Amino acid sequence: MERTEPLPPRSIAMRHLFTLLAIVASAAPTLAQPPDKKTDFAHDVVPILKAHCAKCHTNGTYKGGVSFDTREALLESKSVVPGKPAMSELHARVTSTDDELRMPPPKAQPLTAKEIAVLTRWIDDGLPWEPGFTFKPTAYVAPLKPRKVVVPPAKLGLEHPIDRILEGYFAANKVTPPEPIDDMAFARRVYFDLIGLPPATGELEAFVADKDADKRAKLVAKLLAEDRSYTDHWLAFWNDVLRNEYKGTGYIDGGRKQITAWLYQSLLENKPYDQFARELINPAAGSEGFAKGIKWRGAVNASQIVELQFSQNVGQVFFGANLKCASCHDSFIDNWKLDDAYGLAAVIADKPLAIHRCDKPTGATAGPKFLFPELGTIDPAAPKAKRLEQLAALVTHPDNGRFTRTMVNRVWHRLMGRGIVHPVDVMGGKPWSNDLLDYLAVYFAENGYDLKKLMAHITTSKAYQSKAVPLAEEFTGTGYVFRGPELKRLSAEQFIDAVWMLTGTAPAKPVAPAKIPPFPDTIPKERQFVRATLVHCDELMRSLGRPNREQVVTTRPDQLTTLQALDLSNGERLTSTLSRGAANILKANPMATPSELAEWIFTRALSRKPNAAELTAANELLGDKPTADGVADLLWAVVMLPEFQLVM
Amino acid sequence: MIHRELSRREYLQAMTAAGLATIAGGAPKLRAADAVTHPKPTADTVILLWMAGGMGAPDTFDPKRYTKFEVGVPVDKILSTFPAIDTVVDNIKLTEGLEHIAKVIDRGTLIRSHVVADLGNILHSRHQYHWHTGYVPPQTVACPHIGAWMARVLGPRNPAIPAFINIGQRLEGSGESEELKAFTTGGFIGTEFGPFNLPFPNDAVAAVKPPKGMTPARFAARHDKFKELLKASPVGGMASDHHHESMLKAIDGAHRLLTSKDRDAFDITKEPKPSYDNYNTGRFGLGCLLARRLAEAGARFIEVTTEYVPFLHWDTHENGHTTYARMKKEIDRPIAQLVLDLEERGMLDRTLVVLASEFSRDMMIEGIPGSTAKDQSRAKADKLGELKHYGLHRHFTGSGSVLMFGGGVKQGFLYGETAPERPLVTTKNPVSIRDLHATLFHAMGISPKTAFDVEKRPFYATEDGKGVPVLELFAKGQ
Repeated sequence: MERTEPLPPRSIAMRHLFTLLAIVASAAPTLAQPPDKKTDFAHDVVPILKAHCAKCHTNGTYKGGVSFDTREALLESKSVVPGKPAMSELHARVTSTDDELRMPPPKAQPLTAKEIAVLTRWIDDGLPWEPGFTFKPTAYVAPLKPRKVVVPPAKLGLEHPIDRILEGYFAANKVTPPEPIDDMAFARRVYFDLIGLPPATGELEAFVADKDADKRAKLVAKLLAEDRSYTDHWLAFWNDVLRNEYKGTGYIDGGRKQITAWLYQSLLENKPYDQFARELINPAAGSEGFAKGIKWRGAVNASQIVELQFSQNVGQVFFGANLKCASCHDSFIDNWKLDDAYGLAAVIADKPLAIHRCDKPTGATAGPKFLFPELGTIDPAAPKAKRLEQLAALVTHPDNGRFTRTMVNRVWHRLMGRGIVHPVDVMGGKPWSNDLLDYLAVYFAENGYDLKKLMAHITTSKAYQSKAVPLAEEFTGTGYVFRGPELKRLSAEQFIDAVWMLTGTAPAKPVAPAKIPPFPDTIPKERQFVRATLVHCDELMRSLGRPNREQVVTTRPDQLTTLQALDLSNGERLTSTLSRGAANILKANPMATPSELAEWIFTRALSRKPNAAELTAANELLGDKPTADGVADLLWAVVMLPEFQLVM
Repeated sequence: MIHRELSRREYLQAMTAAGLATIAGGAPKLRAADAVTHPKPTADTVILLWMAGGMGAPDTFDPKRYTKFEVGVPVDKILSTFPAIDTVVDNIKLTEGLEHIAKVIDRGTLIRSHVVADLGNILHSRHQYHWHTGYVPPQTVACPHIGAWMARVLGPRNPAIPAFINIGQRLEGSGESEELKAFTTGGFIGTEFGPFNLPFPNDAVAAVKPPKGMTPARFAARHDKFKELLKASPVGGMASDHHHESMLKAIDGAHRLLTSKDRDAFDITKEPKPSYDNYNTGRFGLGCLLARRLAEAGARFIEVTTEYVPFLHWDTHENGHTTYARMKKEIDRPIAQLVLDLEERGMLDRTLVVLASEFSRDMMIEGIPGSTAKDQSRAKADKLGELKHYGLHRHFTGSGSVLMFGGGVKQGFLYGETAPERPLVTTKNPVSIRDLHATLFHAMGISPKTAFDVEKRPFYATEDGKGVPVLELFAKGQ
C-alpha cells in the first residue's frame, strides 16, 4: 500500500477544489435529488471526498488505480458496489483498523464516524452523483503568448499552410478530408461570405468559363477589393459585436452614441485590426460610442454601470472572455475574479470605483488592472486618457496572443460555420487544433492585422473550398473533430438583400449616418443597391434574427423557427416585396415564356439553371401566360428553399 | 381545391416535431431540469391584463379619501379623485367606474401592496422591462419575457396555437418603441417561444391566414409547388443536416397553422354579436375577447395591454381624472365579462387572470418619498385651477394594486394594506415583482428556481432564483 503525505491545507489542488465546490453550491437550487434519495451528494459527500480522497485519487493522480473523478471512473476501479456497502472496498478501507489497509492512510486524519455514516449511506443509496460533476478540472488553460507553428513542408497539391496543418490533423483523427466543391458552389459561397450577396448572373458564367488556374484566388481578391460591398456586408457583424444601431435604447436621452460613421469608414479602408481596437478602447470623437456604453436613465445594478459595461465588452469583444459573472462576484465558471472586472472598469472610470459584490459595496476601491498583468500594468496615477492609451497598447500588445486568436477564430467561424474554439466567446476553451489557431493568429499579426488578407488566406485554402459536411445535430459536447465546413444560415440581412437583389426592390436611401461612397462602374448593376445593413431593422429582419443590439452579439441563431417561417409565409413584408418584385420581373421580361422566366429566377436566386422537374413545377405555378401573382408565387417557393436560405 | 384540414392528432405530431427540432439547436438548455422540484400547478393558462403606463391605485383599486373637484382646493389635500364604491365583498371597496368588476370581485384576490423598485428616474419602458422579465435593465443577456418562460418551460397547450400571444401593443411608430421591443421578446430562449404579436384584435386572424388577397387555393398550390421544388432540388444530400431539416419542419409547421381549423380562435368576428358587443369598449375590450377565445383554443400565456404610448391612456401627466374615467370605462366591462365567460366555460379554475401595471400614481409624490426621480407632472399647481390639474400625475412606486382571478387563488380575498394618508406606501404584506412572478410561476407549476444555462451560468426564472411565492394567496387545498 502506498503512503502519502497529509493534505497541505491550502495547496493549489485544494483551491481548485474550492472552485468546484463553488460551482456545486451555486447550482444547488437546481441540484435537488429525487426525494427517495437520502444522500445529498453535492453538500454531504463531495466535501468528504475532497478533504480525504481527492489528493491521491483524482485529477491525474490515481493511486492504486482508484479514481474518484467521475462516478463511471469510480465504478470502473471496482472499489464500490452501489447499494452494497458491505461488499464495497471503499467501505472496508475507511472503516478498517488495520494501518496497512485503512484509508486515508495513517498519517492523515481518519474519517469521523459521521463521515463514515454519510459514505455508507451514499453507497447504500446507489452512489448518487450529480450529472456532469467531475473532480477533474475541465478548464483548459489557454496560452497567452503567440506561438509560431512550424508548418509541415509543402507537397505537390498541398501548398496552402492551412491545408498542410490540416493534413496531419485529419490523419491523426482518422478523418477523410472533405471533397472539393465545384466552381459554381465555390463562387456562391465566397460571394455570400465575403460580400454578403450571391453573384450576379454574368459574373457566375464568366467565372465558370474562365480557364485561369488561379481564378479562385483572383475571385477572392476581386471581391475583397470591392470596398463598399465588403463594408456593407461586414457592417452587420460589427454592429452586432460593437452593439451599434441607428436607433434604440439609450439614444432617447443622449445616453448612447453611434459609431456608425467611424465604423463604416474603418471597414471601407480596411483599417488594421490592432489600430481599429485601439481606436475603440482609447477613442476619438467618432468611435467613443463603444467605450461610453449605454447610460440608462435612473439607477442600475452595480454590475451594469457604464464602466463595467466597458469592462465586459472589452473582455468579450477582444478576448472572448466572459466578465459578466465576474462583474458581480468571482466567477464560478472560469478564473476571472471580481477584481479583474473592476480593474478593467477602473481604467475608464472618472473617479475611484467602489467595488460591489452582488450589488453590495465591499468597502474596497478598484484600481486599474489589466486582465493579463504579465503583459504590463496601467499607471493608476495617470489621467484617464493616458490610462486608456496604456490599455489599448496592452490589448494589442504583440505578445498578446489572445487578442489575435480571438479575432482569427471569429473570422474562421464566419467562414467555416464553426470556431476552432467554440463557442467563440469562450476563448478559454480548448481549440480543436492548437496549431491551426496559433498559425492563423501569428499569420494575422505578421500581415499587419489585415482582416481582408486573413479572409483571403482562409478562403483560398482547400479546407474552405470543400463540400460542407452535413451534421444531424449541432455538436455541443467536448471532443469535436473538424471534418469540413458546416452549412451556414443566411443572416437576416443576407436573406433580405438576396431577395431585394433578385426582385429589384431595395429601398431608395440608406439610413446609416455614414459617408457611403458610390459603387464603381465595374460592379454589376444588380449588386448596386442599398443593403439591409444600412437601414433600420424592420419586423421581418427582427423576426429573422437581427438583434436589438443592447448586448454584444457575436453569433446569430442558426435555425429557422416556426414563428419565423410564419412571417415568411404570410407576413406583409415579404409578401409585398415579392409582389412588387414580380411586377418588376415581368416588366423587365415582357416577352418571356414561362420557362424563360423560371430560368431567369433560378439563375439569379440559386446561381444555377432549373432541372427538368423543377421547370415543370415552376411552369405550373406560372401558367401559360405568367401573371404577377404566378411570378410572386414562384419567387416565394424559390426563396423558401433551403438551397436559397443556406450557404452550402 | 387542395386545401385540407389536418386532424388534431396530425397537427400535434407535426408541430411538436417542429418545436423539438428547434429546441435541439443552439438555444440554451434548461439547467438540470429534472432536478428542480416543480410545484403542483393550479393553473394551465395565464391571461395578463396589462395596464400600461402606470395605473394609479388610489383612483382604481385602492380608494382613499375622496376630494371633489373644486377650484381652489389645495392639491396636496387630494388622495383620490373618484369616490369609493361597494363591491360584492364587504371589506373590498373600489372606485367609481369599476362597477362591473365590483360585481365579480368575489371570484378574485386583490393585492394592494405591490411594491416595485424605484429605479431613480421614471422611464416607463424600463419599469415595464423589469415587470415583464423580472430583471432590472440593463442586463448582459437578452432577458426573456415571463410569457416566453412559461411557453418554453411548459410548452404549448395546443401546438397549433402559439404558446405566448401578445395582444394590443404596437411595436412600431411610437416613442420608446425600441425599449418596448427589448422586453417583448423570447430573449435568450429564442424566437420559437417569443411573443406572437397581435396589435389589433380585429385584425388578429390575418396573422394566421394566407397573405392578404391570396385565395386558399392559390396558397395551397404555392405550397405544393414549393414541396415539388424541394423534392427536385439537387441538394438533397444536405437534407440530413440539422439546419436543413429544422428549416423544413418550421416551414411545414407554419403552413399547418395557416391551414388549420384552430385559427378560427383568432377571428373575433366569429363571436356571437351580443358577446362581441359586450366586450367592445375599444381595442382593449376586444383584446379581452380574443384572449378568451385563444385561452379556449389552448394558448399558454396571453397578455392583453391597454397599450403603452407615452403620455396616453394610463400615462397621465395631466387631466388624470378625465382620462381615468375613460380608461375605467374601457376596462371595466370586458374584464368582468372575461371572468364570467371563463367561469361559465368551466375554465376559470385553471386560468389565472392577472391585472397589473408597472407602478402606481400619486397626486404629489414622484417615485417614493425621498426618491431622486424628477417630477414629470405637466399640470403643476398648488391649488386646483382647472380640470387638467385634477388627477394622479406623478409616478408612484411605494404601493400598487394587482388583481387576480381564478387559477387557484383565493376568492373574495384582500391582501396587503396601504397607508390611509400620504405617502400612500405599503404598510402590510409587501409583494415585490420577484415574489409576484414566483407566485405566477408557482400557479403554473414552475419552480422559481428554474434555470437555463446561459453562457455557462444559471439564469433563473425569478431573479437569482430567489423569488418566493406568496402562498397565502392560494385557496386551501391547492
